[in-house]
Amino acid sequence: MSALTNRDGLRRITVAQGETKVSDEEDVILTTVLGSCVAACFYDPVARVGGINHYLLADGTASDSASMERYGVYAMEVLINAMLAMGASRHRLKARIFGGAQMHAGFRDIGGSNIEFARGFLRGERIPLVGEDTGGFSARRVEFRPAVGLARCRSVTDTMPKPVIRQAPPPSIGDVEFF
Amino acid sequence: MTGTMMGEMKVPKTIMTVDDSPSMRMLLRAALSDLGYAVVEAEDGVHALEKLDGFEPDLLITDINMPRMDGYGLINEVRGQGRRSLPILVLTTESSDEKKQRARDAGATGWIVKPFHPEKLAAAIRRVLH
Repeated sequence: MSALTNRDGLRRITVAQGETKVSDEEDVILTTVLGSCVAACFYDPVARVGGINHYLLADGTASDSASMERYGVYAMEVLINAMLAMGASRHRLKARIFGGAQMHAGFRDIGGSNIEFARGFLRGERIPLVGEDTGGFSARRVEFRPAVGLARCRSVTDTMPKPVIRQAPPPSIGDVEFF
Repeated sequence: MTGTMMGEMKVPKTIMTVDDSPSMRMLLRAALSDLGYAVVEAEDGVHALEKLDGFEPDLLITDINMPRMDGYGLINEVRGQGRRSLPILVLTTESSDEKKQRARDAGATGWIVKPFHPEKLAAAIRRVLH
């Protein structure tokens, strides 16, 4: 993972819209800026593994890979599975959610839908929601230290994320092998 | 005329998905429905066997790690019932050679690593169904 090392010795790795990142490295901070998008931070305190996703929309029906990555349900699955692959256990996961602001008055409340999706998903998966900073009308910057499970969230007014053209998923995702 | 049209209608192939994660079942349903397949869902191996009683899907896609009965148990039961021709694809986060071998020995047809890639999943299904 590419990252900038700050004076505090911690490496900050930016998570773009539609991306998911996990880590068990103590000096890593995963950071993202959210408007109506929601980011879920998952943490396994025993495996000391954490991860964050960043989804644009609660749900949708498109099933091509480029579209699916924008949806919460896909982002959650990618995050959970990436954490399990690093030694986390599903029943130990704890979650925090951030974002879901209403950024454009008068438009459909995409942020609210994103928040409701996250809460419903966590209920369905029986993953405890141990903290959230959601809703409102301003963007947020989230910083999450995945190996220690600490998250910090603050409002920002001038650094709304620019739309990012998503890269294709790694070619190994969904690999198929016939016996 | 109507009879001719009815005669030409294609009956969609049915895929049973077995996964204890509601969101994974939802993802699979969205992807498989878009591909034109009918979908029947089960939450674990026991639930799948209940639904398979008197019912024959065209393909079974199953997770491995599930409560009550895992994917290996389900494959063993299905093959033990004499259903040798039913294709079974394992869809799991697991990727160790040992676990793949166990699935192969139980009678699985193939192995797909989660999260699934829609195009790769579609290609795998076409290969076993058509």
